[in-house]
Amino acid sequence: MMTVRRKRRTFARRKICRFCVDSDLRIDYKDSKTLRYFVTERGKIVPRRISGNCAKHQRELTLAIKRARQIALLPFTATHML
Amino acid sequence: MRKYETFFIVDPDLSDETNAAVDSKIDSIVTSNGGEVLTYVPWGKRKLAYAIRKRTRGLYVLMEYAGGPTLVAELERNLRIDERILKFITVMLEERFDPEKERERKAAQKAVVAPFTEDEESAAIPLGAEEEEEEMPEDFEVEGVTDEDEEEE
Repeated sequence: MMTVRRKRRTFARRKICRFCVDSDLRIDYKDSKTLRYFVTERGKIVPRRISGNCAKHQRELTLAIKRARQIALLPFTATHML
Repeated sequence: MRKYETFFIVDPDLSDETNAAVDSKIDSIVTSNGGEVLTYVPWGKRKLAYAIRKRTRGLYVLMEYAGGPTLVAELERNLRIDERILKFITVMLEERFDPEKERERKAAQKAVVAPFTEDEESAAIPLGAEEEEEEMPEDFEVEGVTDEDEEEE
């Protein structure tokens, strides 16, 4: 029982949605510096199981990243260099 | 009326006069279609994440405005035609928006904020915070975030 609990805790430790913790931090497609944190080097969106975001914020974040890609603030892929 | 924002990229190699022409053209499109420009903020030249029409840099401009759906259609049609605009995105911010009321609200807020005393601090801050919601995110710091992760252990 204890070990299970402890295990859960260690998991919960890393998996904290930073948008829930810090309500000042808003998800905005124009804020590429924040969004960049949730995108891999190749330009993929980091999954929730890695970033630890809650479902609600992950949805918002996904939308924001896709919008940022449209307006060339974030890359679609890493191989766009001229 | 609705509140929209259009974020668009202007060709960075244009002269200041042509930039001014772009500004006035867009402004006139919005006003002549029964809309109202609320803010018009050039964000400066930035490197693009990928090349658009063989350009790697672009001048970003953010415009917030009030208007109906037909205005957006007309504005986007014009932006597509205009060679100087590389790309744009329009996002609806508010479904119901009345610029007249907004002005009144702002005026009322200023009246509250102006005679600022210590006692009113708690009442004045949430109002102000709401107002700045759509402002430019100039101070995006990621540092604060990483600290918090460790705190939560």
